[in-house]
Formats: sequence, structure tokens, C-alpha cells
Amino acid sequence: MALLSISEPGKGKPQAHAADNKVVKKRAIGIDLGTTNSLVAIASEGRAHALCDHDGLCLVPSVVHYAEDGKVTVGYEAWLKGAKDSRNTISSVKRLMGRGKEDIHYDLPYEIVSADNGGMPLIKTAAGNKSPVEVSAEILKTLVRRGEEELGGELEGAVITVPAYFDESQRQATKDAAQLAGIKVLRLLGEPTAAAIAYGLDRKQEETVMIYDLGGGTFDVSLMRLEQGVFKVLATGGDAALGGDDLDRTIIRWVLNEAGITDELSYAQLNSLASIARHAKHELTQSEQTQVTFEQWSGTLTREQFNTLIDVLVEQTIKACRRVLRDAKVTVDEISDVVMVGGSTRTPRVRERVSEFFGAEVHTEIDPDKVVAVGAALQADVLAGNKYGDDILLLDVIPLSLGIETMGGLMEKIIPRNTTIPVARAQQFTTYKDGQTAMSLHVLQGERELVSDCRSLAMFELKGIPPMVAGAAVIEVTFQVDADGLMEVQAKELSTGTVSSVVIKPSYGLEDKDIEKMIMDSYSSAASDKEARALQESRVEAERIIEALVSALVVDGQSLLSQAEYARLEEGILQLQKTIESGDSDAIHEASEALNEATLEFAGRRMNTQIKTALAGHSIEEID
Amino acid sequence: MSLQPANYFELFSLPVSFQLENTQLEVAYKKLQSEFHPDRVVNADDRTRVQALQQASMINDAYATLKSPLKRAAYLLKLAGIDAEEHNQLHLDEAFLIQQMEMRETLASLIGDEDLEGLDAMKDSIDKEKTARLASFEAQFTASHFVEAKSIYNQLQFIYKLLDEIDKAEEKLLDY
Repeated sequence: MALLSISEPGKGKPQAHAADNKVVKKRAIGIDLGTTNSLVAIASEGRAHALCDHDGLCLVPSVVHYAEDGKVTVGYEAWLKGAKDSRNTISSVKRLMGRGKEDIHYDLPYEIVSADNGGMPLIKTAAGNKSPVEVSAEILKTLVRRGEEELGGELEGAVITVPAYFDESQRQATKDAAQLAGIKVLRLLGEPTAAAIAYGLDRKQEETVMIYDLGGGTFDVSLMRLEQGVFKVLATGGDAALGGDDLDRTIIRWVLNEAGITDELSYAQLNSLASIARHAKHELTQSEQTQVTFEQWSGTLTREQFNTLIDVLVEQTIKACRRVLRDAKVTVDEISDVVMVGGSTRTPRVRERVSEFFGAEVHTEIDPDKVVAVGAALQADVLAGNKYGDDILLLDVIPLSLGIETMGGLMEKIIPRNTTIPVARAQQFTTYKDGQTAMSLHVLQGERELVSDCRSLAMFELKGIPPMVAGAAVIEVTFQVDADGLMEVQAKELSTGTVSSVVIKPSYGLEDKDIEKMIMDSYSSAASDKEARALQESRVEAERIIEALVSALVVDGQSLLSQAEYARLEEGILQLQKTIESGDSDAIHEASEALNEATLEFAGRRMNTQIKTALAGHSIEEID
Repeated sequence: MSLQPANYFELFSLPVSFQLENTQLEVAYKKLQSEFHPDRVVNADDRTRVQALQQASMINDAYATLKSPLKRAAYLLKLAGIDAEEHNQLHLDEAFLIQQMEMRETLASLIGDEDLEGLDAMKDSIDKEKTARLASFEAQFTASHFVEAKSIYNQLQFIYKLLDEIDKAEEKLLDY
């Protein structure tokens, strides 16, 4: 609604202002939706902490179990069930988000089937086929519930983190999962950005920071630059198959070697050996040596020996850091801070080598398992409208270029990677045949030149082009990417002004109607409930429009409107008030829309006045 | 969209000129973004959020346009009513084109020889040409010699492209 955004002329921060007046704390959470583990955190007064369960466990394993009777279990409980019922226990679902069946080149303990529409892969479970989005939604529901219990009530929304390199489909899938879980996404935030926020690096003036994230099964490294309040990911790299589990495996091999075990081990033996290895690794973060006992064999593993065992792996991570620096044309001495993320960065050897290589300050003060969620919570708190001191604005960039297919199977970039978002770019196309009334467009994401090397985001047909001679129709296609990195496409025929909004059908995502259906399925609300809710919503909407318009008229009505214009808007208010009493939600909605349309010109004039004031440099000082 | 400045310079309260106060641009940009970014209205209704999205997009585009000297030059020409991308009437003199062809040959042979130092030296000398041309663009544009300004702009396009190719070549050599 146009007027709401400027209901506080010159201040531009209606949210924060409203919060100040009512002293109502807006409840928001930060979610780290990880491959192996997930986590929820909350923030208040610029400080954040992770939320734990009754047993004091904060990490929620990203595991979902589906029972035959439809019962869904999430977290540790699900993880325990996985040992006996691996086919119905879904882990690492993050790897499947926004991906097609043909993207899955590795073995999974569960069965993947193609969806009816050929798009998103589905996971076969005892409770029916589940999409990765639905599985993620279950994890999110568990985290949201934990947040609601802690904060005592319904939430304003959540900031959910995604890897910096996540493309459009993967981000969209994450957002769909949130919608399905019934939580509003305040912002999708890059994991490295969240980690940097947790350490308050966003408050520094100019910085180049490296985020070193060694998780259970993945290694990500991201180089970021902060410049004038803009956080930019300069380059990312890593290894999707290197993590803490690999460190454990070096100990397992050492035990087998030392104990002279050559026989094939049983599943139970392997399992127990894995947990012995993990325990030894943890011991060695504190002690110089540890006693390792496996069945009849026992031996001592020193930290020095362990360091030698893992050196090859640690060097691999350093090599990835070097590659990222080179990609971004940044030298190692330009790095001022290194942030350590992921449980495996507790390993002393890892810290040592990272610190040696960068020679910069290495941050380990915040629990590396929680640091991403903590950053997300801090950002969620600010976005929900709770303001403390300076307002920090995070401007993100698009991680991969967006473009379209052109002749000869080539990709033409329309929005290059690392462009600050939100961004809108328009591109003009023309018809190549006489009387052509349709045109198809193929939207892609990626850096390579060939269409076949890029990710296909959507294919759509633009219909309703007025028939003209070839080349006469000019179609302007606008690509809009929002602050979360999600895209929308609009098309307009310029010579006649025919507008055709195109809703993109994501290649591997869900359609809005699918999501709606899933949400409806999960509620069994009666139709009358819906009608009552619709009426209530339309009334609130109408009242908000009236309220905003009245206060705008009081402030600027005399100075910016002619008498006739003023009278027309007054008449509109009266009309809408009458309609509100009618109790017809559709009519109220229509009348609201109409009044809102009528105020657009007024809103425009006010916005221009406001900008002049803002740039004159008075307004901000005045409120603070 | 309600934010309707006459041009991108006005948006940032800057004078319409090639000469640009970078700090002033940065400060004005930050100020506008902190006012209009969609993050400021996450809880508002759809229309407000869409409007914020469009405004923030426009501000970002304006900033990117003015920040890059090449884009700024094209934008100024556009404001002066000249389509800088109109290539039918390229005002490139023959000497410049011959020089460009020679440079490309040099680049190819440097790449063939994997001569990193040579590439660096070449980059330095082209960088100097770039700086000189940016200065003469400014002079011509300020004097309202738009045809001349456009011709320098078209030369700059070649120069930027060449610099980009040298960068890519260096990357490739280092990568190996």
C-alpha cells in the first residue's frame, strides 16, 4: 500500500517508530538450516543465543523420519530411528533442495522417484512420496516451535541462512519450505554473512574477511568485502565432500592399522569404531594425548600423531582458500579477519594452519556450531523492527549471473554475478516473423557460455503479442531480483503497451498452487472459518488504508493537493467506510484497491518531497 | 514507482557532470538505501514491499551507473540525447583501429609465450591510455562537443574490453 510506507514523513522508518511507541518487542528468530545439523537462535538488545532442548542440546540433526502411520519425527529421535529404518529416514536433504533428479550423482540410503510433472525429485517413504521442500519444512517446524515456546507466542518471522553459492532454485526451495512450515521469511541470508554479523564485523568500516566453514561433511570458504555498509561476497570455494567425518576416518584407519585388523568389520563394529574415533578427536582438542580402546586392542594417540594424520586434509582446505583469493584477486595480507565456522574448526591443527596461512586475527570466540544461527538471529531482530543504536543495512549481491538463452544455445548475461540486489534489468526483444504472437524465453543462471553448462531456472512462453510485421513488436522483459536473490519476470510490448506479467514456473520448485494445496492439506479448517478470516483481513486492510490516508492528508493534503483532488480523496474514504460495514469481503477488498489506486499520485508527490527532505540531511538527525 | 528523479545525478544530489565526488555519491547512496531498502518494510503489506523493491532496485542501478566511469559516460551521452551504443556511425579513426588490431596481436603472442610480465607491462600502458581518454572525454563533454565525446567513448569501450581480456588471460595463466 503506497501511503503506508510514508506514513511518517521524512523519517522513513515507520516500523522502528511504531515499536518505540508501543514498546512491543517483536519476536523473530534466526535459523541455520544446515546439511547435517540445524539450529535456532534468538536475539535481544543486540545479543543472541541459541535455543536448546530440555536436555541442553542445541543442535537439531537435520534428519526426518516418516513412519507408516504418517507420524513424523525430527532431530535426534529421527536420527536414532535411522539405524534401523534408513529407507524412511531422510538426512542431508539440503543437498536435494532445488535440484533435479539428474543432479543427484551419489548414493542415498533412501529412494528417489521423479515427480509426475517431471520436475522436482521426490523421496519415497512409508508415509508416501515427500519432496525435499516438505522434508525441510518439517525441520523448520521443529525449530519454529522451539522459538515460539521460548518467546511465548506467535513469531513475526525468521531469517533463514543459505550457503552463499545457493542459486535461485535452491533459495526458492528454501523459501517454499518456510512457507509450508508457516513461518514468514524476513530474509534469506548468506551463511558467511551471518557468521560475519555474529562477530559484529558488519560494523567496521572497510574490511576484507574470510569465512572458513568446516562442517561435518562439507567445506566452504567465502571471501567477503565490507565497503560502505555493503557486504559483498567476492568469491566462494570449498569442497562439497570434505568435512569432520573425514578427520574421523583418519583415526579409524589408524586404529585398524595399529591393531592389525584386516578382516571385514560388521556394521555394528564400524559404528562403534566411528564413535570411538569421534570421541578421540574431541579429546585431542583439549588433551595432548588420548587412550583409544577398540575391543581387545588399546593404544595411545597423541595430538602430534593426529596432526600428521590429518595434515593432508587440512592442506586441502588451505589450497581452497588460496584458490578463492586468486579468484578474487586479493592477496593474503589484505585479509583482516578470519571467522571460523563449523564444529571441525575446533581441531587445534586446523586453527593453527589457518592462523599461520592468513596471519590475521582468527575468530573462534563464538561456538563455531552456533555462529551462523547467532548472526541470523541478530539480523532477524533488526528486521523485525527492534532497533538498537545504529541501523546496519546489509546489501547482498547475486552469487551467480542471470541470463537468457539466445541463438545457438548461448547464454546471454542480463544481470552479472556480484551485482548488488535488489536489482531490475530490462532487455528488449523483437519478433522475427510476420504476425508472430508468441515468444518463448529460457531463463538461466550460471557463469558459463553454453546453455547446457548453466542451470535452467525457467522456461516460459510470452503470449498475446499483437500481430505485426517482423521486427515491429518490441518486447521489453524486466528481470527483477529481490533482496533474497529470488527472481520475477515481467514482459511488456512497447509499441502498443500490452503488459503481460509472467509467473515463472521454477524448473525444480513448487508452484504456488502446490504450496497452497499443501498448506490447505495440513489444516482442516472449515470453509466458514476461511470466509470469516477473509472478511477480517479485508477490514483490517481497508482500515489501514483509511488511517494512512487520513494522516497523510492532515500533514500534506493542503500543500500538495488541489481542492478538487482533496475532495475526491475524502469522498473515497467515505465510500470505503460504507463498504466496510457491508460485510462483503470481496467488495471491501475491491473498494480498498480503488482508493489505494486513487492515492498513488498523492503518494508520489509526498515521496518526492520526502526524498528532498532526506537528502537535505535534516530528517534523520531529527528523530535520533 | 514514486521515486522519480529527473536523472540519476539528481537522485544523489550531484551535479550533472563527468567529474564526480565519489564520497558524496557513496554517502547519498547509503542514505537512500537505508531509507528505501526492502529490509526496512519487511512487515508491511505487499504493495509497500513491491514499491520498496522497485525503488531500491532503481537506486542500485543508478549507483552502479554513476560509479563506473564508462557507464557514467554512456549515461551522460544519453542525457544529452545521444545513443552511445548506436554503432552504425562509429566515429573511430583508422589510426585507432589499426592500433587496436596491433594490440590484439601483441596480446595473442604474449598469451602464446605465457609471458606474465609482458602482460603486466601491457596492462600498465593501456591503463595510462584509459586515464588519458577519460580526461579528454570529460573535456569534450563539458564543452558540449558531443560527437567528439561519443567517439572517445567508443574508443574507451575497446580499451575496457582489452583490459578485461588481459585480466582473463592472466587468470588463465596463473590457474595453470
